[in-house]
Amino acid sequence: MDVRAHVSVIFHLDKCIGCHTCSVACKNVWTDRPGAEYMWWNNVETKPGTGYPTRWEDQEKFNGGWKYDAEKKDIALRCQNKADTFLKLFYNPNQPNLQDYYEPFTYKYEDLFTAPAGDDQPTAVPVSLITGEPIEIKSGPNWDDDLSGSPIYAENDLNLDKLTEEERAQLFEIERLTMFYLPRICNHCANPTCVAACPSGAIYKRGEDGIVLINQEKCRGWRACVAACPYKKIYFNWKTGKSEKCILCFPRLETGQPPACFHSCVGRIRYLGVLLYDADKIPSAMKVSDRALVDSQRDAILDPHDPEVVAAALRNGISEEFLDSAQNSPAYKYVIEWKLALPLHIEYRTMPMLFYVPPLLPVMGKSANGTYEHSADKFFTSLEDARIPVKYLASLFSAGNEQVVEAVMRKLMAVRYYKRWQSVRDLAENDVHRILREAKTTPEEVEAIYQMTAIPTHYQRFVLPPLQREEAIESTCSPEACKGCSGFSLDPAFTPRA
Amino acid sequence: MVDAFFFVGLPYLAIVICVAGCIWRSRYDQFSMSARSSQFLEDGKLLFGSLPWHVGIITILLGHLVVAVVPRVWSSLMVIPAVLFGVEALGVCCSLLAIAGLSALIVRRITDARVQAVTTTMDLVVVVLLMAQIVIGLLSSITFRYGAAWSAGTVVPYFWGILTLQPEMAHVTGFPMLFKLHIIGAWVLIALVPFTRLMHVLAVPLGYIFRAPQLVLWNNPRRRREAVDATARAESRRDFIKGAVGIAGASGLLALGVSEKVVTYFKGPDPDPEAESALLQKKLERLQQTAEERQLELERQRVEMILVARYIELDAAKGKYFIDYAMAPGLAFKGKNGLPLLISAKCTHLGCTVGSQVNAEGQIMCPCHVSYFNIVTGQPNPGAPAKLPLPHLAWALVDPSGNVVASGLPGGEVEGTPSPELLAQCSLYITKPRHSA
Repeated sequence: MDVRAHVSVIFHLDKCIGCHTCSVACKNVWTDRPGAEYMWWNNVETKPGTGYPTRWEDQEKFNGGWKYDAEKKDIALRCQNKADTFLKLFYNPNQPNLQDYYEPFTYKYEDLFTAPAGDDQPTAVPVSLITGEPIEIKSGPNWDDDLSGSPIYAENDLNLDKLTEEERAQLFEIERLTMFYLPRICNHCANPTCVAACPSGAIYKRGEDGIVLINQEKCRGWRACVAACPYKKIYFNWKTGKSEKCILCFPRLETGQPPACFHSCVGRIRYLGVLLYDADKIPSAMKVSDRALVDSQRDAILDPHDPEVVAAALRNGISEEFLDSAQNSPAYKYVIEWKLALPLHIEYRTMPMLFYVPPLLPVMGKSANGTYEHSADKFFTSLEDARIPVKYLASLFSAGNEQVVEAVMRKLMAVRYYKRWQSVRDLAENDVHRILREAKTTPEEVEAIYQMTAIPTHYQRFVLPPLQREEAIESTCSPEACKGCSGFSLDPAFTPRA
Repeated sequence: MVDAFFFVGLPYLAIVICVAGCIWRSRYDQFSMSARSSQFLEDGKLLFGSLPWHVGIITILLGHLVVAVVPRVWSSLMVIPAVLFGVEALGVCCSLLAIAGLSALIVRRITDARVQAVTTTMDLVVVVLLMAQIVIGLLSSITFRYGAAWSAGTVVPYFWGILTLQPEMAHVTGFPMLFKLHIIGAWVLIALVPFTRLMHVLAVPLGYIFRAPQLVLWNNPRRRREAVDATARAESRRDFIKGAVGIAGASGLLALGVSEKVVTYFKGPDPDPEAESALLQKKLERLQQTAEERQLELERQRVEMILVARYIELDAAKGKYFIDYAMAPGLAFKGKNGLPLLISAKCTHLGCTVGSQVNAEGQIMCPCHVSYFNIVTGQPNPGAPAKLPLPHLAWALVDPSGNVVASGLPGGEVEGTPSPELLAQCSLYITKPRHSA
């Protein structure tokens, strides 16, 4: 058992209001630079929709992620295998280009002030941030925002492919249209394809917190990572010729603050905490059939309360303070204890360490004859003919395994019924307890879920491990022994590799 | 002169600039090192430019490399006409492929506004130079056929001469102008590598073939402490080994010397008859010398009186040294009464010879441990290292005719009172100490 700690995050989609504050916070902090204008390390997509870059989920086109060979029970990179990497240096057919993103633009605001006097109101024309020439804006990072039902965007969502014609028709029926938001950052995967594909060895995973970073000095701009990342969360800076990606605001984490997108989140949908996982199970945990992937990933995550795990963690150099934050981690509660949070597109087999609590709102919000239906007899009927089919959510969050999503939904609904019963008392107590039993939960657990979901404090949402430089030094190593090698800087003197 | 510059000076200049520049850039400006792909900005035409260009130029460069590295093997292959034709045809095809690709790239770079946004002046310089170089190379290979065969005996020795610091430009100075230009162009391109995107050639990620898929870096002090500890352990071990080796070496040398001495002691010196006889000869000489000295001493003992000085040489302030019967030094002064005063000059402390100069207190000093002796009494000064007084010696004054005119004993008793005129003619002797009962 090789215990490693991972700073993991939870996005609670029920709480996301799609305001893009996270994207703007990130943009202002990190990507407001020449060459990075088109990068949205954090973006918010409307689902159903095509996302950013357009149809990023289409691995037939982009060939990202790992490919599972069911006969050999082994995984290999879909593209960028060692053999074809060298030919793809010259031209990479899987690399997304500007058409898949959008041409970054600004407006010529100074024209408003310098235009000569005339009959017409002066206008600020859009200009390309690459060429400086006036352009016609054709798309943007969230061009399909709120455009559910749109034939060019929503209907091209790949996750709808598995739905029947009937289900699709229902989904896009007028007045029944529904959507939810999917904020995305880098998943900081435990089995990342970008690291595996990087020819220069510039991308690495930080051992102590699992953050995936690109060494800008070592990157040579071969762009294999851009093609290999199935989530298209690595962006190529056309100006510097280097790839860039979300850094989980590690400079903020190291000064005791949550990442910018987390801190600014209006809906408070984001949680951050430590997960312990067994590095020995990587990548073997991802070498199972699609249906078993979610459980297989859960198996690789370790219980921070288990004395054996604690002992193994201490042996591996994980400090007591780190273990404390692992034991209080909201991520562990959501992913393992309550089993509510699921990884996005686990079938890419990168073992993402970002988990989503699937949205219940559009599922529950089924109305019949103008009223919500929640009679005590048929609590879960709304689940079966929900406006967003479970099949669609399963395609996103459980590699098509509907049972996993259904279990999550039942529990989420049970929390609502229980809390409604507590305050409104319009259901019989017996029925409520039956609902809890069917959802495999208890009143205590429901209370805990409610507390963490609806009224958590800042410090319950963000349980930061001691990544701060000072703490990291004090808790682990005497300053004399570690002179010159403390902190998280990329000190060239010491880069021991695991 | 011009040839010397282009075929000896320029190559070395180019090599120095390339090597120094590449080292400098990869140490201090790594961030600028990138393949600088523009596929992101323009995806369509690039395929028809980049791929043929790279495939063509890499094949041609490999051909150049092989003939330079194994010229003999290459020559022996080129003897076969079919192979020679094949290689020449492949070269021409690849040149055409590269020219086509490069042309597409140049057109793309000039016409596409987005690609222009990432184009530097050096990019254009490089592209033009490359184009010129390939066209010249292709033309010369068509004009002067079968370069694949004859280059091994001409350009390759020139190239190796440059590399082995024995430049022999005669190999190439006789070439036609077209071919000379091709060689000059190559050196210019090499010199430009560190300042242009050509640098990406050195970044070919060959290490990727061998590395593990996942890369994890530890920055944590705890993990680092292990590294530090490991380093410290290794270092202390190294220090210990160093120290042990040093001590062992020193004691080994010492032991060698000691054992040599020990062995010689027990075994005795080497039985070398010549050295032995020389040693005996020396011993004999030394013994003879000693015997002579003893003889002199004996003779001295026999005589009744030993000459010390003429009376007029005596002085009250500065003594005159002489050797007494016991072969010990003595000092002769002129006493207060005008008569001689003789005192032993062998210090009673450790036997040094006492100084001859009398100080204001009427004392002479032993220079070894600073004892002052009164010349009249012979007593050392209080607290001096010497405790016993210097003894006085018996003396006799003899006139020119051989009569003793005056004599003195160590106690101070004087016999005879010669006149000053007579004294001036006298000589001073020491007399044999009489052991009175």
